[in-house]
This record gives sequence, C-alpha cells and structure tokens, in this order.
Amino acid sequence: MTEVGNVLTNSSGETLSRPAQALRWLFFSDYLVLALTFVYVGALWPFVPEIVSLSNLVDIFLQVLPLFIAALGVMIVLMVAQIDLSATSIMAMGCVVGASIMTSEGGYLAGSPIAAAAAIGAFIAIGLLIGLLNGVCTAVFEMPSFLVTLTTMMFFSGSAVWYTDSGSSIGSLPSAFLALGYGGIGGLPYAAIITVALAVAVHVGLTRTVFGRWLQAVGLNPSAAAISGVPVRRVVIGAFMFSGLLSSLAAIIYTARLEAGTPILGQRILLDMIGAAVIGGVSLFGGKGKVIGVLFGVLFLSVVDNGLQLLGLSLSSVYAIKGGVILFAAVTDAVRHNLMARG
Amino acid sequence: MNRLNTHTLYALALRLAPLSLFAALFIAFGLLSDRFLSLANFRNILTQSAHVAVMAIGMTFVLLVRGVDLSVGSVMYLVAVVMGLYLTGLPLVLQIPIILMIGAIFGAVNAWFVTRLRIAAFIVTLATLFIGRGLALYFSETKMVFQSDAVQTLGRSSFMGVPWAIWIAAVVAAAAWVTLTQTPYGRQLYAVGADLESAAKAGIRVKPIVFSVFCICGACAAVGALISASEVGAAAATFGYQMEFPVIAAAVLGGTSLFGGRGGVFGSIFGAALVQTTENGLVMLNANPYLYPLVNSLIIFVAAFVDGRRRVLTERLEQRKIRTEA
Repeated sequence: MTEVGNVLTNSSGETLSRPAQALRWLFFSDYLVLALTFVYVGALWPFVPEIVSLSNLVDIFLQVLPLFIAALGVMIVLMVAQIDLSATSIMAMGCVVGASIMTSEGGYLAGSPIAAAAAIGAFIAIGLLIGLLNGVCTAVFEMPSFLVTLTTMMFFSGSAVWYTDSGSSIGSLPSAFLALGYGGIGGLPYAAIITVALAVAVHVGLTRTVFGRWLQAVGLNPSAAAISGVPVRRVVIGAFMFSGLLSSLAAIIYTARLEAGTPILGQRILLDMIGAAVIGGVSLFGGKGKVIGVLFGVLFLSVVDNGLQLLGLSLSSVYAIKGGVILFAAVTDAVRHNLMARG
Repeated sequence: MNRLNTHTLYALALRLAPLSLFAALFIAFGLLSDRFLSLANFRNILTQSAHVAVMAIGMTFVLLVRGVDLSVGSVMYLVAVVMGLYLTGLPLVLQIPIILMIGAIFGAVNAWFVTRLRIAAFIVTLATLFIGRGLALYFSETKMVFQSDAVQTLGRSSFMGVPWAIWIAAVVAAAAWVTLTQTPYGRQLYAVGADLESAAKAGIRVKPIVFSVFCICGACAAVGALISASEVGAAAATFGYQMEFPVIAAAVLGGTSLFGGRGGVFGSIFGAALVQTTENGLVMLNANPYLYPLVNSLIIFVAAFVDGRRRVLTERLEQRKIRTEA
C-alpha cells in the first residue's frame, strides 16, 4: 500500500501541505480503518467515558481474539475468490460434538484424562472435514461456493440442534479445557498466545510460501494459474480446509469461555466475520488480503459493537448502524479503487 | 457422433433432474402419508408457496444479470411493518401501489450502489439487509404489527374458488413471463447476463438494465410481503427473517443459474413449489421439526450440484466446437 501512497504524493504532491499529504497517505493506507476506530472512540468518549477504561479495553481485546481467528479463515477463502458461509455451523457442530465427548455428565470420555484432548481433536476434525466437503464441491464439482457453503451451513447448524435434542446446552466441561477460555501463563491468556501464533503463521504463509503465492494466483485468475502449473483444485480445497480449521479453533476458545456446548454457538457472528474481512480490505473478487487489514477490520467492528452496547442503543439501531458501517467500508473501498485507477 | 449422443442424453438427464426429484418427493410423500395426495392439500401447497414464488421471480431477474439480492427478507419485513402501522386507513387499491413503490425504492438504493459505485451486489445487499431490518424494527419497536382488516380479508377470501394468494402470484408470473420472453427488454436482460461486455459492445445500455432488475426484485419482495402478511394477519419481529435463502434456493432449483444469463419464470415457481412441497410433506409425516433444515438443505444441494454439472457440460460442448473449427 505504501508504494501507492508514494506514487500519489509524488505525482501531485508538490502543491500539497504536509498535513494534507499525511491525510492523503492515510486514506490510501491499510491504517485507515485503524484511524477510523480511533475517531469512533474519540467521538464516543464524551458520552461514555468508560469506553477507554482498562476493563473495557480488556473486554474488547478478549472479544477480538476468536473473531480474528475466524475472520482469517474467511479471508483465505475470499482470496481464492470463493466465499465460506459455513463457519458458524462448523463452530456449532464442533461445539456440541466436542462437549458431548468431554462433559462429565455422561460424556463419551467422561473423567478420562484424555477427554479434553480428544474433544479438541474432534473440534479440529469436524472443521477439516466440513472444509474438505466445501472444497471438493466447489473445486471438483464446480458448484458455486455461495450455495455449497449455504447448504452446509443449513445442514450442519440443523444437525447440531438435532444432535443435542432440541437445542439444550451441554455443561460440566473439564477444567483443563475451560482454561483455554480465560486461563493463561504469566498474565498472557492462552487465547492470545494461540491467536498471535496463528496470525503470524498465516502472515508468513501468505507472504513467504509457495502456497501463499498460489492462493493469490488462483484468486486473481484461475485459468492463468492453471496454465502456469498451479494445482488450482488442491489450492481451493486447501483454502476451504484451512478456513474450517480456523473456525474450529475459534470455536474451541468460544466454547471454553461459554463453559458449555450449545448448537447456537457463533450463530450471530457470521456477518461480523465477513464484514471484518471486507472492511479490512479483503477483496470479494479474490487475490487480495492481508492479516493486518483483517485485524484492523475485526478491531473496528468489535469497537463499534462495544460502543453501541455502552450507549445502550436498541437492537434496531445496532442492526442499522452495523449495516451502515459495512456499506461505508465498501463505499470507501470503491472510492479508493476509482481514485487509484485514475492515479 | 456417438459421443454427442451420450452428451445429449446426459444433458437431458440433467435437465430432467429437478423434475424427477419433484416426482420422487411426491411419490414418497404420497406413499408415506394418505393425506398428502389430496386436492385440498395441493391447494395448501400452492397457497403456502405463493409468496416464495413471487419473490423468487423477482430474484430471477437479478440472478439473470449475475447479481444477487440478500435484502429481500428485510424488504418484506419493512413493507409489512409500514403496511400494518401507517397504511391501515387506506383501501387496498391504494396500499398496493404504495408498498410496490417502497419495495422498488429500496431496490433502487441497492441498484445505485451496485451500478454507480460498482460495489459487489453481495456486499451491498448484505448491508441493506441489516439496515432495512433495523429501520423496520425501529418503526415496529420490535412489537408484533397487526394488519388491517382489508389485508386480512385478502388472505382469507378467494376468487372463483382459488385463493387470492394464487391469483396474485399468477398475475406476477404472467407479467414477468411476458417481460422476459416477449419484450426487447427481456432479451437485453438475457444478453447482459450471458456476456456483459459483448452486450455493452452490441449497444445495450447495461447500467439501466442492471438498475431496473433490483427495483423489480424489491417490488416483488413487497408483493411477497403482502401475500404473507395477509395470510398470517400480523408481522412479528422475525417476519421474513432469512427469507433470502429459500427464495434464492427456489430460483436455483428452478434452473436459474447463479452465473447469469439462464433461467426463467416457470422454473422459479416450480422451485418454490418444490421447497414448499418438502416442508408440507414433512409436516404431513409428523417429522421431527429439527429435520426440516436438513432435508431442505439436501434438496438445495442436489439442485446446486445439477446446476454445476450442467454448466460444466455446456462449457465442454462449446470448447469442442472451437477445436473442430480450428
């Protein structure tokens, strides 16, 4: 992004004053969303001073972590110009199956020392399998990913409810598992360590590995990628499986915090995930996406959500404002695109 | 030659797949439940699927130009709320044009963002889905909104023995069929969907056409709201919630492609009836309600699978042609 900013300031920068140049650079940089987050907090400060209190900031930080993991999965699928709506159903399915394995109230492995580990394995296996299903249908059978993941979402959300018999939740999870929610070492929550490690891994994977290049190539032009020898189908399947994996990891953190397995886990965050990725500059048409952008997108949405809650706004306003924010981000992206094209 | 024959057979099988699915469902439900195969039940299925059919017809227009409209459920709720709160004093003849305008204006907002700012329809309508529902919830204060007597009477009464819901759907379907198949506008719509660039080069004004389909879809969602609200008599806060899924599914089940340029009115009606038949049959069988989404999603999956296969086949046939010429 910096090179675009430089080009712009160089081409017409002589007449601009320094602050104007800085603003211009900011408008075209990845940091615009972060700046908007600060503007939002600044605007709300006089009305709800507690928004900058330490406890609230910690709250936001803890909220951001699992959403960030899940949004990274969405980003990877968007990068190959597909879409994944099934993330919430992966969370729900993993949550109820994992919980039913380890719960001490009649779980399959109740009381066993490996219960928590087996449950985590189940979470991950479910994520990978549903991702594989999505990927095969999209890449091999050439079905539109919108419909494939829509049906897997309906099917597995429904299955999760069915599995728990009418949607009751499963409590009494082992403490070793619950530690993943709020526990930590030396003041650092496990959730934060996992999230940072994943974010770094995804960043390195996208920018430094062949697979990252392949993702980009497939997203930009699948036929050109195929001619150049990129295994397009395997890349698309890999993207969906990776998304499934990340969804299941986010589900582990959510479940550990909730201290229960419930089929409605994550039902409301589907739009937040996609919205965060798009606000963070991930293109719906593939090939474009950065970890840092998604982080800012997630942060922005979480802070907006938090602010609306502190203001005590009604459900209707929260709905409308969230929609407005997504549209605003899309419009900003479009305007930036047009301006860049004009140079 | 032989190869071509297998291909034609395969294509025929693919074309007949939704129909065979429908037939299989009918036979299965008919065998499992003796109440399913009755005239009264068929009328029920048709009445219950009328609002989905109308909205799927509107969605067909959008899908034909490779767009998508996720906001139809919110338009439906918004219209039902406005109708129940502010239009109760008006006669039905005045209410209908007003709600059609509301739907069309909502569609025009979507269209403006899509055509002017070139934002993906998926994102625009995802955002307006939230904004529309938020707006409607603001009007209704999340309370139940009851419809006027005129609207409720419409839902209960019938004309020449056929419920009004079916008449309305039939009128919309006829108008849409004429528009798509008998007018230059309809042909241009298919052309834009099949190949946007070539259509533009051929002198078709693409933007007004893309603009119009969103308005049509919005207006159809408003009609869907009228039908549904007249039957239920009231609109709860969840009215029309996630309605976009069965509507898109109905259109795709009926053979409308998500990739643009292919689809039609009757397919969408058929798709709506298929979705509703499944639901109706499951009710007749006293199936566990938690199974409904599972069965529904499987049927949509099969339809999407067939659509994908058909597209691949068409592409392959076209490729062969090019090679023989070269």
